[in-house]
Amino acid sequence: MKALIIEKNSMNILLERFLEEYRVFGPTKPGSDSTFDEIKSIEQLHLDYISTVLPPKKFFLPPNETLFSFNIKNGKFTTKEIRPDEKILILGIHPCDVHALLKLDKFFSGDFNDLYYQNRRKNSAIIALNCVEPSEHSFCRSLGTGPFLNEGYDILLTDVGTNYLIEIGTSTGKRLVKGLNLTNASEEDFHEKERRLKLMEKKFKKSMNISWLPKIARENLDHDIWFDLGERGGVAGSFPCLSCGSCTFVCPTCYCYEVYDAVDLSLKSGTRNRELDSCQLLEYAEVALGGNFRRDRKDRIHHWMLCKFGAAAGGKNSSCVGCGRCIRVCPSKIDITEVAKALRRG
Amino acid sequence: MINAYLPNLAIIKKIIRETHNTNTYMLEFFDKQLQTSFSCTPGQFMMYSVFGAGESAISLSDINNNDITATIRNVGSVTNTILNMKEGDSIGIRGPYGTGWPLDKAKGKNVLIIAGGMGIAPLRGAITHIKNQRNNFGHLEIIYGARTPGDMIFKYEFEKWRQIKNSRLDLTADTIPANTPFECKAGLVTSCFPSMKTQHKNAIVLLCGPEIMMRYAAKCLETIGFKDDQIYLSLERRMKCGIGKCGHCQIGLKYVCKDGPVFNYTDIKPFIHPL
Ligand SMILES: Cc1cc2nc3c(=O)[nH]c(=O)nc-3n(C[C@H](O)[C@H](O)[C@H](O)COP(=O)(O)OP(=O)(O)OC[C@H]3O[C@@H](n4cnc5c(N)ncnc54)[C@H](O)[C@@H]3O)c2cc1C
Ligand code: FES
Repeated sequence: MKALIIEKNSMNILLERFLEEYRVFGPTKPGSDSTFDEIKSIEQLHLDYISTVLPPKKFFLPPNETLFSFNIKNGKFTTKEIRPDEKILILGIHPCDVHALLKLDKFFSGDFNDLYYQNRRKNSAIIALNCVEPSEHSFCRSLGTGPFLNEGYDILLTDVGTNYLIEIGTSTGKRLVKGLNLTNASEEDFHEKERRLKLMEKKFKKSMNISWLPKIARENLDHDIWFDLGERGGVAGSFPCLSCGSCTFVCPTCYCYEVYDAVDLSLKSGTRNRELDSCQLLEYAEVALGGNFRRDRKDRIHHWMLCKFGAAAGGKNSSCVGCGRCIRVCPSKIDITEVAKALRRG
Repeated sequence: MINAYLPNLAIIKKIIRETHNTNTYMLEFFDKQLQTSFSCTPGQFMMYSVFGAGESAISLSDINNNDITATIRNVGSVTNTILNMKEGDSIGIRGPYGTGWPLDKAKGKNVLIIAGGMGIAPLRGAITHIKNQRNNFGHLEIIYGARTPGDMIFKYEFEKWRQIKNSRLDLTADTIPANTPFECKAGLVTSCFPSMKTQHKNAIVLLCGPEIMMRYAAKCLETIGFKDDQIYLSLERRMKCGIGKCGHCQIGLKYVCKDGPVFNYTDIKPFIHPL
């Protein structure tokens, strides 16, 4: 299908079409920071955002969710599954965050399927938006996860001046723009997209080269860097890690969760739930009788960095997409790109 | 599609008291079809649900076709609730998960089994397997140590193990309180090594116990010629899902629940308890 264009101030046409079928979530700006929230009218939508505090991961792997409920009757238990079935549409998601979802898709399938995540993904539509202005912390370009997107979208928008260029990725995308009477895109629109990509690529201040890093980080468990990061003075002007876990909570590819039961007052029924957990917290690797397999901060920050460099889960699933959120929120000013550089220097 | 997080109801058919804080449970799925299609290998584990308390990973502590066997020590909320259950009570289980002991690789070899404390639980199935297919394996040597003789589990098996052809059983306890009517040496598991019969040639080692004990045992084995890749060990990590999703059991590049709990020593040596 041919690409289309829509005037920026006619975006309400698209939004209204989306709202017919989906609950729509997109970038809003309630204060000084942007955040993904439910969009019910066009005034709420702020597509010219740089980055959000939390990644849109929260719509697919919520910070807290119920897996099933249980009930005790005559000494026997019954369980009742809870399956998410709401149709949601994520509007204006940036390429790095789309790539994070593609990584999570792989992670939550495989030998065992996580039906909660998978159902949400299956019932969702992705309307991505190419980045034309990097944040001062992002480095997606060096990881191939941005600033422009080639996969993982139903519809892809690019800011080409007064219009958005609309490219269609799937049949869902096609269905969503059908009958909207939009103008076809011209060759100039694509030239403009190309020009903006070139311009954008020059604007990045940070970069990270992760080839060989998993091997370096794996084989050098006693590298000075881990002591510096965990206990001593930090790396490249940072302070030592505080183990606050902020990096993991804002990371679009961190998926670790804790499972817990909640029982109601009758003690006869309750729910099993999960909530996002962080490998930076002391309790994360704790076992019964006070054992802990990652008691030291240096081991925890090493574990996280190794995961983000792409080594965890056998090197297949998790890894960094270069959104820069962890750098932005770290109270100790730890910068993963600087750690990577220092490791590479040896 | 099956929801991998949903436990299945099982009935406790029989309970055997092992020590003051440990019981062995024979269970059966409530759903007969699940029970008949159930199959597992020694070294695998299951997730046990106590609704309201949570889930725990527990090894299959024996293998036979009729029921699911678990030996559980009371150390916290889930295990404490299980310890207070009676025959006929129901519990939620799912699994089996993880890799088992490399019994195919062990074929034709002399097998050295070293267990410390609860570490004998996942190994009993391997012993049963070797006993059942006695001609497929060489010499079998079992070294089992516990803190005190009173902490030893499966005491009723010792005589049967001694009678396995071409085998040797050595028992040891760290401390033996006065007047304990139990025959075993005093000392750590490694103190049994000087009288060990198994030599490194054509041998395979199956090792399970506290991580520090496994490190020392492996180190001692190295000094008498064993290579790291002859040693297999079963690891313990915090587990919340058992299916490679929650992240808790990660060790270096691996997930203990999915890539383990049984690992070749070469693969995980850098990541476990340092000596
Ligand atoms: C592969 C494997 C096999 C095991 N086999 C046995 C066995 O055969 N017999 C036996 O008695 N114990 C076994 N354990 C240990 C058993 O899982 C823990 O003792 C148990 O989870 C403690 O739970 P709790 O709720 O009683 O303790 P709490 O301290 O209240 O623990 C709370 C929760 O933390 C997690 N947790 C705590 N300790 C551990 C731990 N050591 N390993 C994994 N998760 C933990 C569990 O999810 C647990 O529900 C095994 C562990 C693993 C990883
Ligand atoms: S126990 Fe959850 S990933 Fe292994």
